[in-house]
Amino acid sequence: MRGVGSLDETWRRALYAFAAAVLLFALGAVVRPGFVRPDSILAVLTVAVFVGLVAAGQTFVILIGGIDLSVPWVLNAAAILLATSSGGSDARAFSALLLTLGMGAAVGAVNGLGIAFLGVPAVVMTLAMNGIMEGLTLGLSGGMTCASCASYAPPAIQALAHGVFLFLPTALWLWLAVIAIVSFILGATVFGRATYAIGTNLRASELAGLRVRATIIALYALSGLAAALAGIMLVGFGGQASLGMGEPFLFQSIAAVVIGGASILGGRGHYLGSVAGAICLVALISVLLAMNMAEYGRSIIYGVIILVLLLLYGRESRES
Amino acid sequence: MPPLAIRRSAAAHAIARNIGLVLVIFLLLFSIFLYGLIYGLTEGRLPGGFELTSTVNNTMPLVLAAMAQTLVVLTRGLDLSVGGVVDLANALGAISLGATPARMALASAFILLAGAGLGLVNGLLVAYGRLQPILVTLATLSIYQGLAIRILPQPGGAVPEGYTALLTNTTFPAALLYVVLLGLFWTAFRRSQAGIAIVAIGNDEGAAAANGINPLRAKLLAYTLSGFFAAAAGLFLVATATAGDATTGNGYTLTSIVAVVLGGVSLFGGRGSAIGAILGAFVTTMIVNILFFAHIDPLYQSFYEGAFLVIAVVLAEGLGRFVRGRR
Repeated sequence: MRGVGSLDETWRRALYAFAAAVLLFALGAVVRPGFVRPDSILAVLTVAVFVGLVAAGQTFVILIGGIDLSVPWVLNAAAILLATSSGGSDARAFSALLLTLGMGAAVGAVNGLGIAFLGVPAVVMTLAMNGIMEGLTLGLSGGMTCASCASYAPPAIQALAHGVFLFLPTALWLWLAVIAIVSFILGATVFGRATYAIGTNLRASELAGLRVRATIIALYALSGLAAALAGIMLVGFGGQASLGMGEPFLFQSIAAVVIGGASILGGRGHYLGSVAGAICLVALISVLLAMNMAEYGRSIIYGVIILVLLLLYGRESRES
Repeated sequence: MPPLAIRRSAAAHAIARNIGLVLVIFLLLFSIFLYGLIYGLTEGRLPGGFELTSTVNNTMPLVLAAMAQTLVVLTRGLDLSVGGVVDLANALGAISLGATPARMALASAFILLAGAGLGLVNGLLVAYGRLQPILVTLATLSIYQGLAIRILPQPGGAVPEGYTALLTNTTFPAALLYVVLLGLFWTAFRRSQAGIAIVAIGNDEGAAAANGINPLRAKLLAYTLSGFFAAAAGLFLVATATAGDATTGNGYTLTSIVAVVLGGVSLFGGRGSAIGAILGAFVTTMIVNILFFAHIDPLYQSFYEGAFLVIAVVLAEGLGRFVRGRR
């Protein structure tokens, strides 16, 4: 009975996040009348795709009570790797795509190995990995001075990030596909069940014969994969890669997952909630930009809103 | 025979209990040795007083930030807002430290109090808001950084020479005195009722409460002190740089976690010592020094730091298991 109740609770939190997103759009309409025109709503949603993709990976690892702090430089490395390895040509776009996604998954798997087999706390392992990827990216690209570093993303990838298909931006279609896949994995597969079980009680999952270590490694690999995919979309969107482009996504991806109602301690949460959280965050930023808010003001309001949302529904029960 | 056996097992027990501290001392000695070796090979002489002074001065902000982080980590929390408080203290210091000693003292006291207040806000949200520390401090980090940029939009301001000389004497490693004072403070604090309460709630909050400890009060104190020490880190930073910058403190969130982890403080709370974290801060600086004198391309610096962090933690874990297993 308690289990059913807490499941409802998690979905309710995801619904709150969607409601908050709608509220923010309404607020945007008050601030600037053109804010809720279909094309500007689609523009906000398209920007939310990048946060949403990273948040997919972050959801996977937060569900087992972990965290992925290596997101910024995995994303950045992926963006640069895609541009440099394709050299901006469509002919090499597909192999560059595979290489980049493989890199993301491999880096994530190394995170998982360190956490599952070497017993390194997730915060430390992924923090160190962020540094390792930063050093490798800066060093190998010579601080973005390498000959191929100025390459543009292949036109096909740029079209994927900018194109429109059946009235919707292709980036949104991609996100919808990711939402369907991630929700299916978490909700309807043995792997998903194992993820929630490990997040609820790791020791009990081990004793029940679940392949805990393999699952942990796979989840971190998925997080790396998601960050790499976001990097690919971002370089496709902006055309060229740059240093530091991944920095905002650490804060935003964690915030999106938490606003979406997942418990940072693991075991509870849905990707749909994180999706709502990502839309919420990007809508908030857009409203603040529409109000011509200075950077410091955005930073302050950003933190305050997250605190308010947390106080509204992120509190732990008194008994625990 | 029995007394000797008992003494030996007691010593082994002490080592096993303080394996984190033992390891960080070993790491520090090893890094100093490596630094001396590489310095000697590249410069043709051994590092002397000047190197010692500048190393200690450069490490002071991190020493204080590590102290701040330790207090929160011991309660089984994580303070991501350390960098934000350092930024804010840095910005406030740049605009408010006047020329007269009285003005400097007044401004410093105000900034330290402000830091304690910011820490208290974190503590109230964690203790009474019943929110996860990592989320609270992620949000307040954003707020504190915003406030710091509001106070000092562009790098600038000026720090009086007397203030810089007082905190970071450039001719003599006077700052070592502060390190010793911090160590003494910690030793006394750890044995006080408040210090015991902070460690106890990190170990087992329920059991601590059952033994008459007020977990809410212990948390408030830990976060308030954390804000205080983070602000002190900001003051040392502004004194070293002799001008303010509202963003240079950002890095201290991550480096303070690194120092704490190298210092053997458990991220799961209740185990570890601020003295370990302070030594961890020095190890962190020594690694940067070693990479510099080994003429490693600075672009690769984060790579080596990250790799070193993983290796050190894995080593500590393995060694700890080995020592515990033998006992």
